[in-house]
Amino acid sequence: MKFEFLLGNLKINDRQLPRFIQRLVRKKLAIVCILALLVLYTCGIFAECVSPYGYTDQDYSSILQSPNSDHWAGTDRTGRDVLTRTLWGVQNTLILTVVAMLTGGLVIGVTLGLLAGYMGGKTDGVIMRIGEIFASFPDILLVIILAATLRPRILELARWVEDSTAIDGLVRTGIVDYFVVSFALVAFGWVGMARLVRGQILALREADYIQAARAIGASTKRILFFHLLPNCISVIVVTVSMGMGALTGTEIVLSWLGLGIQPPRPSLGTMLLGAGNIGTLRDTPWELLVPGIAAFIMVVAWNLLGDALSDALNPKTR
Amino acid sequence: MWIYIVRRLVWIPILLLFVSLVTFALGRFGPGDPVVVMLGNRYDESTAERLRDELGLNRSFVVQYGDYMWGFFKGDFGESLRFRGRPVRDLILPKMWVSAQLGFAALIISVGIGLPLGFFIATRQGSWIDPTSVALSLFIMSIPVMVIAPALLWVGCLKLSWFPCSGWGGFFDSRLVIPAIVMGVPGIAGMTRIMRASTLDVLGQDFIRTARAKGLSEWKVNSVHVFQNAMIPIVTILAFSCAGLIGGAFITETILGIPGIGRFAVDAIFDRDYPVIMAITLIGSIAFVIANLIADISYAFIDPRIRLN
Amino acid sequence: MKKFGVSIIFLSIALIIGCGGGSATEEISDVGDQEIRLTDAIPENPVVEPAAEGVFRRIWSDPPTLDPALVSDTTSMGIVAEVFSGLVTLNTDLRLEPDLAESWEISSDGTTYTFKIRENATFHNGKQVTATDFKWSLERAANPQTVSPVAETYLNDIVGVMDVIEGRTSEISGIKVIDDLTLQITIDAPKAYFLAKLTYPTAFVVDRENVESGGQTWTDEINGTGPFKLKEYKIGERIVLERFDNSNENDGGVSLIVMNLAGGQSMAMYENNEIDITGVGLFDLERVLDPNEPLNRELVIAPPDFSISYIGFNTQMAPFDDLKFRQALNHAIDKKLIAEEVLSNLVTPAYGILPPGFPGYNEQLEGLRYDSELAKQLLSESKYSDGDTRPRIVVTVPGRGGSVGLDMEVILEMWRQVLGVEVEIQQVEWATYLEDLNKNKFQAFAGLGWEADYPDPQDFLDILFHSDSKLNHGQYSNGQVDLILENARINPDPIDRIKLYQNAEQLIVTDAAWVPLWFEGERHVLIKPYVKGYRLTPMTVPKLSQVKIEK
Repeated sequence: MKFEFLLGNLKINDRQLPRFIQRLVRKKLAIVCILALLVLYTCGIFAECVSPYGYTDQDYSSILQSPNSDHWAGTDRTGRDVLTRTLWGVQNTLILTVVAMLTGGLVIGVTLGLLAGYMGGKTDGVIMRIGEIFASFPDILLVIILAATLRPRILELARWVEDSTAIDGLVRTGIVDYFVVSFALVAFGWVGMARLVRGQILALREADYIQAARAIGASTKRILFFHLLPNCISVIVVTVSMGMGALTGTEIVLSWLGLGIQPPRPSLGTMLLGAGNIGTLRDTPWELLVPGIAAFIMVVAWNLLGDALSDALNPKTR
Repeated sequence: MWIYIVRRLVWIPILLLFVSLVTFALGRFGPGDPVVVMLGNRYDESTAERLRDELGLNRSFVVQYGDYMWGFFKGDFGESLRFRGRPVRDLILPKMWVSAQLGFAALIISVGIGLPLGFFIATRQGSWIDPTSVALSLFIMSIPVMVIAPALLWVGCLKLSWFPCSGWGGFFDSRLVIPAIVMGVPGIAGMTRIMRASTLDVLGQDFIRTARAKGLSEWKVNSVHVFQNAMIPIVTILAFSCAGLIGGAFITETILGIPGIGRFAVDAIFDRDYPVIMAITLIGSIAFVIANLIADISYAFIDPRIRLN
Repeated sequence: MKKFGVSIIFLSIALIIGCGGGSATEEISDVGDQEIRLTDAIPENPVVEPAAEGVFRRIWSDPPTLDPALVSDTTSMGIVAEVFSGLVTLNTDLRLEPDLAESWEISSDGTTYTFKIRENATFHNGKQVTATDFKWSLERAANPQTVSPVAETYLNDIVGVMDVIEGRTSEISGIKVIDDLTLQITIDAPKAYFLAKLTYPTAFVVDRENVESGGQTWTDEINGTGPFKLKEYKIGERIVLERFDNSNENDGGVSLIVMNLAGGQSMAMYENNEIDITGVGLFDLERVLDPNEPLNRELVIAPPDFSISYIGFNTQMAPFDDLKFRQALNHAIDKKLIAEEVLSNLVTPAYGILPPGFPGYNEQLEGLRYDSELAKQLLSESKYSDGDTRPRIVVTVPGRGGSVGLDMEVILEMWRQVLGVEVEIQQVEWATYLEDLNKNKFQAFAGLGWEADYPDPQDFLDILFHSDSKLNHGQYSNGQVDLILENARINPDPIDRIKLYQNAEQLIVTDAAWVPLWFEGERHVLIKPYVKGYRLTPMTVPKLSQVKIEK
């Protein structure tokens, strides 16, 4: 809601895109954010290669060790490497948020926004009304309801698929959890994007070059995706960047509630839950701080990046 | 103008119909039988059947839904399944009140710090203060509440003994401080950014230039013309924030032991207490829809372009 | 009674999440009865100033019910046992004591009990408690309209109770009112544990007028017989119990009990003088055990609860239908290592079923101890030695914290390392867990515990392992065990009875019907020095009236 407002009167001329990139580069903080995200996500994706330990490897001779040369971020109560588990948690968060953003924000949100904005009339009305219905749920509450009610059903389905076909190991990959959580996140992620894109299109649709395209008989599809979409890129980029911060936060909350990725796979929310008390903070702070910092870096980097992007794109703040 | 408002008003019941239908269906068709939860470990089929009859859970979906909504509009939210025989209204209203007070305290923090800060940095555009403050407020906003809450408790309550560690004692009680900080400080970033954007918007407009050209003092221009005009869009944002107040914040409430609606709602979801879930969702939606309406209408009054659209 | 959510391991979750859940979630926090219950966390309320005289402040969770007939969990029990009472009770040494009955006679055939009710036994409003009140209360508990989940378990020994439960009549033929103060109860066979069963709230007396005039929410204004009156109950906020002065046990002790229900961090609250008692969880244990730490002086270490946590196997489902496979899984777990290294000795490894100190506890029991070689050998001898053809194994645990418990995570890893057996773990929330558990749908289940309702081995072995028992969720069935259990029910000789139960226990353990996991080790509890007379009992019994606040 909030960033949507911010972007409300943002009208960007994308023929200035190169200049925009120039100005972005000048913002050192934005570069730092991109680098931080790249490093963290890369480590997360390649967690298996980056860390010498597995996420369930338990070493009872090194329980609750503080950070040292073997375990850079210490170990937990069963002697597992905290850094390894954090990186795997980052991987989970990354997969979930990217999937949710790609499907919900980009595919559904952008397409519906384009359609609503360009077609206008009834199409516009229906899409925006549906969006309003979704937007008027207390969202986190409904995400929780969705995740809690869907999971067992889908898990049963996956087991059935596994048992009745040759496919194996489906459940163990945690694919069900990924599906459920991203579905829950997607259900509410598309509305904001659709609205913003629609706003941008409304402003553009009467522009001369669109009229011209229409006049020479370009198909609707062509006008939408070749003429209008490129002109929305900057709005989309900013929205994605800010949205990723929010999505990351929501994913962590969901797994904190036990509705995310299931153990033994580690997730940041679960780690924060297990260690979220004063006793841990006092005696073995790395258990709480390491996953906490990872979560923090992801959220803050996306937020700062989004801010820098919108600054760089907004002519008024130049 | 009036047609616009009427159109918005007519849309509200339809909106709520969909919201309630979805919530109700999710609850009913999701797994996990509330009767089983109520009977706990001493479950047996015949007892469960009796209980289902008694609670009316055996009737068809449409009948149950209709029955519920009819009651809802009469102000009767049904009886809780988990706390048998207790009206949902009596259960959730006190908790909503607690959450609303807490949310209000948090809002005071975010608005009280965020607005002046946003205004200030907008008028200092180009200096180092602007990007630094924005970055800093975003930084603070991004700290996970699961980390900050125990940390604040440790420092504020155990190390310094300034505040009690948990609980709720009303709006004018020291117990309010830690949760209000945990919930309010992250909101500063949002408020700052919105106020900053809004102020910049106003600063770029002709009448400000005119005011300056007239020779008004910088202070007067800022305080009278800029601030007042920058506040207009903020008012609509506040409408949303107020609607969000009753939603509560279940993480903060859980960690800090506050008897608010957020935690109660999450518990209700896990215990399949349908009437409670329904009531909270519906009330939340209604509040949101009304806030939306107020925002839209007030905007329409302020900005003639919207009226004509 | 069943307790859910294992042991200390869940403590952190109980701390943050478990408190204040619904009937089921309640039970998560119930883990280890006292332990977690204390840790359950709550806020203080301004009504009672922190240091007020005669006030005992603690944390609790919302009780699923306050109706004695419906109680089936320790959270409700902890309050109901203080507010209501019955013919007999257990004292803090867990010995059977007269309560509202001053004496009783047992007929020579052991089936007829004649209770004499105390002349000064009254309800809180001063009304005399009569034999008719008891008859009505028991009939109400058994009446199907009451929907009591426990009436059958606790009252079914009384002649005629099943007729009432099944709705054929509304009067229990085995209960006779001889005169105002004399009550006669006939049971179906000479069962030594019958009196002990009467200490459970199902058999407590309630005031008919109170129940009938109050409707469904009659427990808001309770007219009970216990040492405390329910002064206030605000759901999710607090329960206040007030000392009832006409009570038989008036000794000038504590006058108000304030139980906070809203959650929070209990250790912090204790350290900040907001509550008077708290359990010590894994995260604070090391600090509290340090002799240089001031808190160490307030530490009380209590003997373990009469409770056990376990992993249940469904013995009718592959691969747990194979004895050797079950045994292999048992032998592959190094419980001692887990208890010492991972759980900081907060729990004691369990090799049998009956907890230490419980009647019938057998020190000589031969448990299935850790032996990786034997485990491997047993696995290779079992039907399921080949990992490729072995059916999928899923252990289901309840909860919503996202954590399946440290112990489960270690056990899965041990099974993988020692046997190469891959086990999936699935966490489902309470509603679904209970539903499937009651349908015996789980292949294997964990996160469950059982806590004694009354000090008799029948409460563990018969209820959990007899093939006809509804609570035998693993569908364990051994004809020989059934026979021994049935004999033990009516064996009049206490020593012989115990021996029978010990035989049964040995058979069950060797059959590897479960993986017994932990007895809640020694419970570490912090109690403020000015609180006197608070007994840490291994079972829930009325005890708050003995608490004194001396400042």
